[in-house]
Amino acid sequence: MASNELLLAMESGNTKGKEISRHAGRTAHNMSSSSLRKKSDLTLVSKVRYTYVRMLLANLQEVLLGTKLCFLFPAIPLAIVAHYCNFGRHKVDVVKYSLLGSILSNLLLVLGTSLLCGGLANLNREQKFDRKQADVNSTLLLLALLCHLLPLMFRYVGKPDALTAKETLQLSRASSIIMLIGYFAYLVFQLWTHRQFFEAQEAEDDDDKVISEEAPVIGFWSGFIWLAGMTAIIALLSEYVVGTIEDASESWGISVSFISIVLLPIVGNAAEHAGAVIFAFKNKLDITLGVALGSATQIAMFVVPLSVIVAWIVGINMDLDFNLLETSSLALAVIVTSFTLQDGTSHYMKGFVLLLCYIVIGACFLVYRMPTSQAHVGVKLSAGEISRV
Amino acid sequence: MASMDNSIIKGSLSKENRHAAGWTAHNMSSSSLRKKSDLTLVTKVRNRYLRMLLTNLQEVLLGTKLFVLFPAVALAIAAKCFNFGRPWVFALSALGLTPLAERISFLTEQISYFTSPTVGGLLNATCGNATELIIVIFALIEHKVDIVKYSLLGSILSELLLVLGCSLLCGGLVNLTNEQNFDKKQANVNLLLLLLALFCHTLPMMFRYAGESSGVTTEATLQLSRVNSIIMLIAYSAYLIFQLWTHKQFFEAQEEEDDDDLVSEESAVIGFWSGLVWLAGMTALTALLSEYLVGTIEDASESWGLSVSFISIILLPFVGNAAEHAGAIVFAFKNKLDICLGVAVGSATQISMFVVPLSVVLAWIMGIKMDLDLHLLETVSFALSIFVTAFTLQDGSSHYMKGLVLVLCYVVIGAFFFVSRSPNGAVNLDIRSSMAEIFRV
Repeated sequence: MASNELLLAMESGNTKGKEISRHAGRTAHNMSSSSLRKKSDLTLVSKVRYTYVRMLLANLQEVLLGTKLCFLFPAIPLAIVAHYCNFGRHKVDVVKYSLLGSILSNLLLVLGTSLLCGGLANLNREQKFDRKQADVNSTLLLLALLCHLLPLMFRYVGKPDALTAKETLQLSRASSIIMLIGYFAYLVFQLWTHRQFFEAQEAEDDDDKVISEEAPVIGFWSGFIWLAGMTAIIALLSEYVVGTIEDASESWGISVSFISIVLLPIVGNAAEHAGAVIFAFKNKLDITLGVALGSATQIAMFVVPLSVIVAWIVGINMDLDFNLLETSSLALAVIVTSFTLQDGTSHYMKGFVLLLCYIVIGACFLVYRMPTSQAHVGVKLSAGEISRV
Repeated sequence: MASMDNSIIKGSLSKENRHAAGWTAHNMSSSSLRKKSDLTLVTKVRNRYLRMLLTNLQEVLLGTKLFVLFPAVALAIAAKCFNFGRPWVFALSALGLTPLAERISFLTEQISYFTSPTVGGLLNATCGNATELIIVIFALIEHKVDIVKYSLLGSILSELLLVLGCSLLCGGLVNLTNEQNFDKKQANVNLLLLLLALFCHTLPMMFRYAGESSGVTTEATLQLSRVNSIIMLIAYSAYLIFQLWTHKQFFEAQEEEDDDDLVSEESAVIGFWSGLVWLAGMTALTALLSEYLVGTIEDASESWGLSVSFISIILLPFVGNAAEHAGAIVFAFKNKLDICLGVAVGSATQISMFVVPLSVVLAWIMGIKMDLDLHLLETVSFALSIFVTAFTLQDGSSHYMKGLVLVLCYVVIGAFFFVSRSPNGAVNLDIRSSMAEIFRV
């Protein structure tokens, strides 16, 4: 029941937070969103200040690495606020579906399109990436998958639903805490101890123009106020989205699960998507992977467990059990992606296969027309039924 | 119990006339727990025979850092005789088995010094998991098939996730600045075998869900499991041939780099016959304690409020694996990842490809119906741990994040079995009907 707003606000919180801390170490993700930004006419100025900015940047990277963490802190209070705006309506399913949809679309759609376009554009060139970074992300995604699978399986061990519900919930909360620990270790890994894994990609880009965008263009406080304003608008819009999702589903004749798994994430990920494709065109696969896998990992290991914890704090029973169909899509997506990235090279066929996988999953949810709330109850009933028999 | 496959390695012994079966990763790992016994006191004894006897005793009993746990053996027997609480018998037996497991692998190793390298390798490969095998046999005698399955599964999980995870984590933290590389060929062979094992476990389980009534499928599942077990044993024999004869070089790389610090421990410290007698004695003790352990597990479960599946999947494996665990971590600290992998992944392979099918065959001989069907939850955990490990070991290098993720996976699985408090038998039946129902709907 953490509502959808929570999710949307969290995601947006993250992105905005990252942007504000952009000067603190560039992540692949930043670079990708920055590719969508219009270059405000700073070329002249930046030429003058180039050396200065570079020094400043180097400096900030050392000193302010910690501030990268600050993209975490706006997310939490905002999520809670967003949640309180909406209490009364507990649409856990929409939350779960749209988070799952974001992971799927990052892994399959964003990555698939980028590899496909990149592969077609660079047909005669070698396309290589550093697989260490991809490996770390796939391992974390597998851990997340394990955390989702076990609560699901739990429901099938055959006891009456009433008995397992509580245990599933406890297990989900414990798993969420473990996932958060994993995510924080990943941050430490990424920002302090093994930066070289994630820096390879930066070095190769330093030459071109990305660097010129590096300096903060607005001040900290003005950035903060903008952030607050944007978040408020996003919260408002997401409340509308969540409030009207059922009506939209009815009048368009599309199931709620399709809307939240396939359509919502496409909207939410548009910026990353475009960025990833652009970098793939330039044969900078490391950045593309950083964007696609990085945000999948971030959602799976940070946003999902955080919503479980926030739901726990506000007294809502949200567990990690995404139903059978959704979990198996997640499992296959993670496994297909991991195998695709095993050999450190890419070609358009890989991208095409990933894209096709996404279309199959989308088709599956399109024909799966169960209204959300009933779907949930229905599954529960059938599980109860099952165990009773 | 891990010792097995590594033993394999033994091949290249020729150096220094190391008799016998060379030095396997596994041996090396347990030897890190052994202290050099100080023989000065003993040598003062005049009588030659007495002196030999004392030396022998000292080597065998005090040769391990785990010797402090030996009193638990006596206490367990005393507790049994004087009718202490049965949970106490369980706990003490578990403690007592820990040093016994280590000593049995030590004695096997000693005996293998007196045989040819290949025989030694085979000996280590078969007796490496003697403790687990003995526990399994006693559980089978008492018809506790679920405990057999759970404890074997638990051993595999703990080797793959906990032992390997802790080693990579500690190794990664200590060697932050060093490059940590290992030879991925060996790891890949092992993972391939583990995937075969997974396949053999999954099919009997799927069979049950194919929708026919369980009366019809039980017999077929059983036959399928037996055939699968024979296939797994064939695969394991082929693996031994691969490791000991045809592709020794895969498993030898790690030896050279270790020759420096370990060579001094190479020679046999006790004679062949005394080794054999000790081995028989230790095995008898192990058998006795295993019997206690298996007999009291339910009482322990009740009085501690833990489910039987948690005890057998999570707690029991600690008993048998303590020595390997410590050894693997020590080698990871020294940045010798090949040995760590040999110990952790190697033992997992040995258990899943040798001990598991062997217990099915033994059960068949004893007329007990044991199949390879691990049930849904356990199979899923097994599958996921193999996948995670496989992906972790794909690129031939390591860092602490990999270790941490493996350990976290183990914690999640542990938490999962901790909350699932269902009586074994009941669960089994329920799933059967429930899944049949699901698939029919």
